Amino acid sequence: MDAELVVTPPGCAHLGSFKVDNWKQNLRAIYQCFVWSGSAEARKRKAKSCVCHVCGVHLNRLHSCLHCVFFGCFTKKHIHEHAKAKRHNLAIELMYGGIYCFLCQDYIYDKDIEIIAKEEQRKAWKMQGVGEKFSTWEPTKRELELLKHNPKRRKITSNCTIGLRGLINLGNTCFMNCIVQALTHTPLLRDFFLSDRHRCEMQSPGSCLVCEMSSLFQEFYSGHRSPHIPYKLLHLVWTHARHLAGYEQQDAHEFLIAALDVLHRHCKGEHCTGRSKGEKLKAHGVSLPRPCGNLDPPAAPALPLGSAAWQWAGCLGGPGSQSHRLLPGDDNGKKANNPNHCNCIIDQIFTGGLQSDVTCQVCHGVSTTIDPFWDISLDLPGSSTPFWPLSPGSEGSVVNGESHASGTTTLTDCLRRFTRPEHLGSSAKIKCSGCHSYQESTKQLTMKKLPIVACFHLKRFEHSAKLRRKITTYVSFPLELDMTPFMASSKENRMNGQYQQPVDSLSNDNKYSLFAVVNHQGTLESGHYTSFIRQHKDQWFKCDDAIITKAGIADVLDSEGYLLFYHKQFLEYE
Amino acid sequence: MVVSKMNKDVQVRAAINQTLIEKLEKENSSELLRAKLIECGWKDQLKAHCKEVIKEKGLEHVTVDDLVAEVTPKGRALVPASVKKELLQRTRTFLAQHASL
Repeated sequence: MDAELVVTPPGCAHLGSFKVDNWKQNLRAIYQCFVWSGSAEARKRKAKSCVCHVCGVHLNRLHSCLHCVFFGCFTKKHIHEHAKAKRHNLAIELMYGGIYCFLCQDYIYDKDIEIIAKEEQRKAWKMQGVGEKFSTWEPTKRELELLKHNPKRRKITSNCTIGLRGLINLGNTCFMNCIVQALTHTPLLRDFFLSDRHRCEMQSPGSCLVCEMSSLFQEFYSGHRSPHIPYKLLHLVWTHARHLAGYEQQDAHEFLIAALDVLHRHCKGEHCTGRSKGEKLKAHGVSLPRPCGNLDPPAAPALPLGSAAWQWAGCLGGPGSQSHRLLPGDDNGKKANNPNHCNCIIDQIFTGGLQSDVTCQVCHGVSTTIDPFWDISLDLPGSSTPFWPLSPGSEGSVVNGESHASGTTTLTDCLRRFTRPEHLGSSAKIKCSGCHSYQESTKQLTMKKLPIVACFHLKRFEHSAKLRRKITTYVSFPLELDMTPFMASSKENRMNGQYQQPVDSLSNDNKYSLFAVVNHQGTLESGHYTSFIRQHKDQWFKCDDAIITKAGIADVLDSEGYLLFYHKQFLEYE
Repeated sequence: MVVSKMNKDVQVRAAINQTLIEKLEKENSSELLRAKLIECGWKDQLKAHCKEVIKEKGLEHVTVDDLVAEVTPKGRALVPASVKKELLQRTRTFLAQHASL
């Protein structure tokens, strides 16, 4: 606790006689035994002994006398009688730990006691395995000063438009504008910047993209309604991601990844001018198709530049498997550049873990690697890579409430295809360390760890040797998405014969809500990006550069969809 | 020290309470209840009501007892039936599994 409690609860004059000798220890004991009992033993004792000494009931706002061992209920005034008779003027309430003074005739708040109470509460929660719980915000000294000196307050009502602002197009910069809209409406990112959490680490502060992001949030939440001109942002992007410089139309997805990368680096104070060594060249934001027989890390998601690639030559469950390291033909991307897992806000929000399991078809040994990702790129039907039509009967088909009535491809279809076991074929044999020879294998991708914000990239821009085109196939996507069927843990369950997903209403960890959609209209040569963003839980707005208009959910869900941003519904405290 | 005149009802209540506390169920269902009451807007409603009471009585003079007296009946009444039902069901199931009453 580094925040100093400023509002010094004065307590009451009558506490003086109580706070003598070993009072702190005694008070702690009372908290531990009768208020917040952590261990099973303590709970048992509490349950048995905490009853009113007059009427035997455990309800009715039971209090314990602070001067002797006596429990009395408040509602029936049994504790009051005791206080009067014995002249014991202090009692503690056993549900929430409040201190009552019978002379003041009210609950009193003393700074020392508050501190002890909080500590004991935390201890008990920890013992119970509950961990941290939400506690309301209390301002620090500095915050109180700031609030006093800045008396203007903004009230957020359900129809206020704060946070909405248009962005001027500076010459084919709509690709940047729609990503900015998505980022400024990412709740956790917004909270991070609006609570001023960024501390600049860059040598030359004027070049920090995170600082610029911070001022961007200030602009968006300033209440100004005129469109913002993001010239500084554009300049910084050109400086730090040279491949995006110039007035040509760029790919919004490419920009997203570049922006996240630069932000991630600048959080740590790393300077970057352009592309790092060893990064694949991307033409018009489309990943080149991987050459056959190459076992790189999953080709679909864009690997964050300079991120750690965790390797795990692991043993996986499953019948008869042993752990073997299948040696890939190409070591691309398997070097860990940064063994230290970064904990910047970008990583905290956007980084997930993608598990890749390669199974030898002969000895069934599995080699597992887990790679970090910031987004998931999904192939679409109609592209040159075959999109296997999945029968409606296969698992997960009724997940997310999507219907296959009209034969429309859904986001879930794309995800199922993404996580399907893929036979790598005889031209891509892997050297299996178990068999000591080259064998055929299957490869499967699943989600090991889900990010707080999941970004799905529908690969609409095809760039094969023969043709360049845009795939305009409609893909329907849901408002709420459950990622459970695509998790590594779900796959393990299925392998172990558990086909029924345990319906556990308390486990909401894989549920996501849509909050932003980026769309592209037009062709590969000339097109325009717009976005939909979510405000206030159920209001959607369309952002077309400088023009912001209200949109209906149907507009959003019927749109073509290029980048889909989902936010976890429930966040756990760590 | 425990009282002599405890009728059967009180005894049963006490026994149930003991089981719930020991097995952490009281804590867990309290948490669940808290979450549900926040979700359905109950907490906000009551908070607003508290503010009204405080305005009425005056910040300097109002006591916790005043608030408890004013807010308890409203609070009890405003709990949605579905929440009560769910919690009751949960407790029943729990006791069926754990208690030997």
